Amino acid sequence: MAAIAGFFRDVTYRGREGQIAWMLHRVTGAGVFLFLALHIINIFMMVFPAGVFNSVLVFYHAFLFKLLIIFGLYLGLLYHALNGIRILIVDFVPGAARYQAPMWRVQVVIFLALYVPSAAILLSRML
Amino acid sequence: MQVRPFARPRPSGSFELYAWLFTRISAVVLAGMAIFHLLYMHLGMGVEALSWQLIAWRWQNPVWRIFDLFLLVFGWLHGANGMRIVIEDYIRPKGWRIAAKVLLFLLTFVLIVLGAYVIFTFKAP
Repeated sequence: MAAIAGFFRDVTYRGREGQIAWMLHRVTGAGVFLFLALHIINIFMMVFPAGVFNSVLVFYHAFLFKLLIIFGLYLGLLYHALNGIRILIVDFVPGAARYQAPMWRVQVVIFLALYVPSAAILLSRML
Repeated sequence: MQVRPFARPRPSGSFELYAWLFTRISAVVLAGMAIFHLLYMHLGMGVEALSWQLIAWRWQNPVWRIFDLFLLVFGWLHGANGMRIVIEDYIRPKGWRIAAKVLLFLLTFVLIVLGAYVIFTFKAP
């Protein structure tokens, strides 16, 4: 228990909207970065014959991988993009920094409004 | 204004300033392009249809090659610059920090060369 409490004390800075937004931005960014590395290597394999490339692509057609795309990559990419737009507003619109926390709440609503229906469409079309 | 004693100072000096600006400029481009790319490939094309043959057909149009090249270069450099900052933040011992950054730089070089090579030279037989 002490270890868990210590961990939360160590990772908590302000612990409110700003820190949650920032942490999620890092985690989603790192996740998309990892996928991108694998994706570039995978597309580079177009230099090999069709049979070789397609045998690796079987991976993409796996059920678990499709779930990871929808609930991992797409979720992460959409959050990172929306939070990035909020950062742009905070950085370039004079006075906007004061409203970063309410803007994050609005951002969560926009995220859900975009993600839930589009993820449902992806689920119905991909599985 | 609130005092933020631990906040990262505003970037100054040329490299950090340009890296900061590049992150923001590429973000605008990527927010649209990357999400469009994901949805287009999974809904427009369909994940079941994804194959060597489909990509070969897609690359017959040079516009898609330029689109992919843009995603490769802007996407990877945006991500690599972000990882550079994550390394600066979390890897404290100097030797390990430099080693991680050298590795990131090499990975950046290799992946952009490999990706650009296949985009520029691919010929469907």
